[in-house]
Formats: sequence, C-alpha cells, structure tokens
Amino acid sequence: MKIKILVLIIFYLISFFNLSHGANSEKVDQISKNLRCLICQGQSVYDSQSDFALSMKILIQNKIDEGKNDEQIYDFLKSKYGEWIVYDPEIRKNTVLLWVLPLILFVFGGILIFRKVSIK
Amino acid sequence: MLNQIGNYSLYIALLSSILIIIQSPTLLNQNNINVSGRIFSLISIQSLMIIISFIALIIAFIISDFSNEAVYTNSHTSKPLFYKITGTWGNHEGSLLLWLLVLSIFLLIFTITSKNLSNKYRILTLLFQEIIIAGFLLFILFTSNPFMSLFPIPNEGTGLNPILQDPALAIHPPILYLGYVGTSIIFSSSLAALISGSVNKTWAKHIKNWVLVSWIFLSIGILLGSIWAYYELGWGGFWFWDPVENVSLMPWFCLTALFHTILILEKREMFHSWAVILSITTFSLSMSGTFLVRSGILNSIHTFANDPSRGVFILCFLFILITLSIFIYFFYQNKIKNNFTKTYIVSKETAVLVNNLFMMFFLSVVLIGTVYPIFLEVVNNDKISVGPPFYHKLIVPFLIPFLIFMAIGPNLNWIKDKINKINLQQLLFFILSIIISFIFLKSVGISYLFSLPLFIASIFLFLITIKNFSVKKTNLSQKISHFGFSLFILSVLVNGVLAKEYSSNMKVGDERKFLNKTIKFESLKVYESKNYQSLEANFKISDKNNSINLKPEVRVYDQPQTITSEADIKSTLYSDNFLVFNILKNDGFYNVRYQIKPFMIWIWISIILISFGGILSIVKKNG
Repeated sequence: MKIKILVLIIFYLISFFNLSHGANSEKVDQISKNLRCLICQGQSVYDSQSDFALSMKILIQNKIDEGKNDEQIYDFLKSKYGEWIVYDPEIRKNTVLLWVLPLILFVFGGILIFRKVSIK
Repeated sequence: MLNQIGNYSLYIALLSSILIIIQSPTLLNQNNINVSGRIFSLISIQSLMIIISFIALIIAFIISDFSNEAVYTNSHTSKPLFYKITGTWGNHEGSLLLWLLVLSIFLLIFTITSKNLSNKYRILTLLFQEIIIAGFLLFILFTSNPFMSLFPIPNEGTGLNPILQDPALAIHPPILYLGYVGTSIIFSSSLAALISGSVNKTWAKHIKNWVLVSWIFLSIGILLGSIWAYYELGWGGFWFWDPVENVSLMPWFCLTALFHTILILEKREMFHSWAVILSITTFSLSMSGTFLVRSGILNSIHTFANDPSRGVFILCFLFILITLSIFIYFFYQNKIKNNFTKTYIVSKETAVLVNNLFMMFFLSVVLIGTVYPIFLEVVNNDKISVGPPFYHKLIVPFLIPFLIFMAIGPNLNWIKDKINKINLQQLLFFILSIIISFIFLKSVGISYLFSLPLFIASIFLFLITIKNFSVKKTNLSQKISHFGFSLFILSVLVNGVLAKEYSSNMKVGDERKFLNKTIKFESLKVYESKNYQSLEANFKISDKNNSINLKPEVRVYDQPQTITSEADIKSTLYSDNFLVFNILKNDGFYNVRYQIKPFMIWIWISIILISFGGILSIVKKNG
C-alpha cells in the first residue's frame, strides 16, 4: 500500500517535469541497473518502461542534481522502498551466509584437493 | 475425441511403467534374452503411447479444438500455424508432456544402444528411469492434464502470450528439455552402475555420450534463450541473472564438471564416487529447475504458468528421488573401487580437479544466489533481491585464476609433469597478454580495478587456445570447445567495456546527436498483420561515411491484449546496432533506446563453437 501511494505521488510529480527532455545521464543508467522495478516481473528499473520505472529514473536524476552521491541515493531508496529494491544485498546478519557460503565451499574444496594430491 | 485418445494413451503408458517396475526385481537375476525382449516391447509400447498423446495434443492445437482446456487457454484461431504448433509446449501442461515424451524416447534409445552391457546394469537403469517416468505420468494426469475437456465448447480461445510467439523461443524449450532429460539417463545409469558395482571404465565410456548429448543440448538451449532475451525482451542485454536463466545454468556447470571427470574415469580409473555424486547432482538440479520454474516461487519475467499445488507435487517427487539416491549412494558406496592412484600436483588429473572446484564454486554462487532469497523470505520474512551486482562481485574475481588454469591445465601430462616446462613458452604469451591488455584498455580509456587482470587472463587463454591448434597431442574437439570458451569470455568483456547506449524521448522528425552519429526519427507507419497491429518506426543512423536505417516495431496483439516492442538489430562482424522504441503517455513522444554493441555476434558464435566441439567428439567416436 505504501508503495502504491508513493508511486502515485511520484507519478503526480512527473507531470511537473517535461518528459520530452533529453537523455538519461550515464549515472542514472548505472544506478537504475541495480534497482528492481517493484511492479514488474523480474526486471530492473533500467530495463523497464513502466510508469514506476520512468518515475524512478526521474527521481534518481533529481537526487543526482541535488548533489547526492551513489550511496546516499541507494540509502534513500532503501529507506523508502525496503531493501528489496536493490539487486546488491548488503552484508548483515541475515545475508552474511549468502556472501560467505560459496567462498567457504571453495576453500573447503581446495583443501580437499590439496590433501589428495602429493606435492612432490 | 482427441482428449480421450490423449488420456487413454497416457493411462496405458502409466500401466506399462507399473508393469516394468513390478517385473524388474524378478528379472534382475535372470540373464535371459527373452526377458529383456519383453521389457523392450513394454518400453516401445510406452513410447508409442506417449508419442500418440503428444501428436493428439499437437493436432488439437492445429485444428483449434477448444473442447480441450489447454488449447482454449493458450491458443486462438487467428494465430499463425507455426505458433499454433509451438503453442503446444508454450504452456505448462504441454511442456510437461514434452518432458515426458523426451524422457521415454531417451529411454528407448538407451535400451537399444546399451545391448552389449550387463543385464543387471540395464534393468536397474530402466527401473530408475521408469520410476521417473511414472512420477511424471502421475504428475501430468492428476495435476496438469493437457487433455481436460471443456463443456460447453467455447467458440474462441484466449490466445498465447505474444512474447512467446517467436521463432527462437518456439524451439528453445524442446532443445533445453533434451538437455535436462538427458541428465535423467545419467542419473539412473549412475545409480544402476553403483548398485551393480560397475562404476568403471566401461561405464564411463558408455555414459560419456549421454553426458555430451545433454551438455550440447543444454548449451544450445541456453544460447537460444539468450538470443531471444536479447532481441525480444528489448533490453539489449543477453543475460540478466534472472532466476529462470540461472536454473538452466546450474546443470550446465555440473555437466561440464561431470564431463571432465568422466574423461579421467575413462582414461585413468579415478574419481569414481565423485562422478556418481555429480551425476546425481546434475539431475537433481535439472529437476529442481523444473520445480522452481513451474511452481511460481520465482519472481521472474519468464514464469508464464504457475500453480502452488503442482509445486508441492514436484517438490515431494524431487525429495523422494534425492533421498532415494542418497540412500543408495551410502549403502553401495563401498562397492566402488577406491584405488586413488598416486597423483602429483602438476598433472592433468589435478587440472581436472581444479576445473571441478571452480565449476562447483560458480554453481554454488548461482545456486545460493537463486534460492537464498526464497528461504530468507520464508524463514525471516526478510525480502532481499539478488541480482547482477552480486553475481559479478563473486564470480569475476574467481574468473581470473580460472582462466589462467584453463590455459595451463590441458597442456599438462598425465600423472606427473615438470613445473619448469610450463614457464618457458607460456611466460612469453603471458607477457604478451599483459602488453595487449594494457594497450587496449589505455586506448579505450578504461581503468576499472578488475579490468586489467581480467583482460590479461582472458587474452592469455585466447592466445594459448589458438596456439594449441598447432599441438598434435590433444584432440580437436577439445581445442575447438576451449577456444570457443576463450572467445566467449573475450567477446563478453569487450562487449561490456565498449558498449555505448543512448536513450531519449523523441517524436517524428526529431534529430539527436550521439557520439559522432546522428539519430533521425524519420517516419512512423501503422500496418495490420494477422493477429496484431504494428507501429513501425523508421530511424536513420548516420555518421560521416555511411548511414543505416533501423525499423523497430511496437506490436499490439489483440488475443490476449499485449503490447510488445520488437527491436531492430543490424549485425555486422564488428558490432550490432540495436534500436528499440516504446510508446509514452505524452502525446507524440516515444522513448527511443539506441545501443551500439561491439562483438555481439561473436558471443553467439563462440557458444556455437563450444557446442560444436562436443558434437565433433560424438561424431568422431561413432563415425
């Protein structure tokens, strides 16, 4: 519900900006590639042409114009929409295994191989 | 009428399955040719019945028999004939019937081609395979029956999702399924070999072809899916780390590892248990893939049919199969000859182990990245998204050593090799790669942290694989596949680094400057096709020397009502020009996205080369 209201507000805001203007900056492309389009089926904001995605791109552009850096923009979006919106989950208690498990497996497998073969 | 034929033949097929399963234990100890003859006729009947039901479904789709529910919900009289036919497997029920069809035909081929192997091994493989077939038959008949009757009979169907009406996607599922289902034979036969104590050279030799066949179909299936995503989804990318894509990549990693292991097993009688474990894993991954895609758990653009009750069935079935195989593995594991011959660290055997280690790592990254969010949401109600940045961060750093190992490994000797031999010639190539990478990255002005080592490693592999064509020792199919892989990595890298894109909102007559090119929106026209209306734009891209015209479309399908964007792509050997446009709500304006994608075509060519190596290996051996 929260998301819906936000989308509506943002969509309302769009009418103040002229969509016919210009190209998205490279920065917007770069950031929007890492964001999930919340109303789409598995598309990034960058790839989607939905109203939500279009308004997100404008929002990001505005934040850039305000002088915010990447991290501030991601943080802002995460606080508004939840962590689900970013494709790059941060490392915290619940996600530490996601990042570390493959590495543990690799080290474990490496040790296994190293013990099997003779060095000399 | 067709519904009845389809239903009855499926029931007869189920009956054959049950008969074979019941009879097999008593047949195990007899070494009678008549016995296997009887089994053979049962299998033939079963395949025939499944073929009949599949043909019945195709006919129902062709003649638009709307008394069939699957036809009603997935077809429409105005659809072109080609898509009526391919619509047969463009939906959940039909695609499962296709799975089953491939499953039974593969079993028939297995039975015919394994005549010179031991009776026990063959019967056991048949038994496991029949358990899988029976499971699928039950699943189809009771949760996803493609022959459900509708009454009263509707006049018109609801149509096939237009995004699926595409030539590449029409043949993508059958090819991918051939790969998936091939792994079931590997699974059954490895369990059979385990029980009959024949995990050895002969088995390796026999199963190698199945591994190769599955691997080739899986590779080509993934390729077709990528090509489709590239031009149909209108994103301009070819791989999105989307869960459904990941699901097809996982068995590929496993099969690649298995193939290398099987080679060692055949040549040196080593890694018996590991080969069995990989066989079981590969099939489990293929099955879980079907489960994940079909259950609707995944949030993906590709998920076009889902229903939780079906998911539960596949999950239970999968659980039973995996438990069964783990049980069998631990029970019969001691039958495996465990003669780990002494191996030195610098040897071909170690190289294959290292290959396997990396494959398992890539597999675990993709597997964990795909399923972790699902579990986290269920357990903690914590929603996270795992996408491209995650996979790139974990895979890219490991890709660098992997590529270097891949360059060195295949040139090593069996058992033991000298360390100093590696260094002489290859050092030269390595220095050469550093120089080339450095010059290349400087000239295009890129200075990302990982770019340089990544380029060095991939150019190194590229040079070595080219050089290897002059070495007589290794076989040609391996050289082609490995060269294809190095070409693939290099094309992806160059493509990623040099791709340029421009997006803007334009109306007819507008002109935009991009790099040294001018993009002009020349005209727009509307035309009618059989089952859609099309808005075709004409763009002229020109620079000083020449100009090209690109004509992307926006299609409005009426059954069901859907809007799709069809990109127009002009490919040359050097680069692709990709243009796609979308309708905006503002009157007269269209969102235009233009991309220059260097070496795009080489990505496809390299995957074809990789697969071609596999094909050559089969042809050469049997020819």
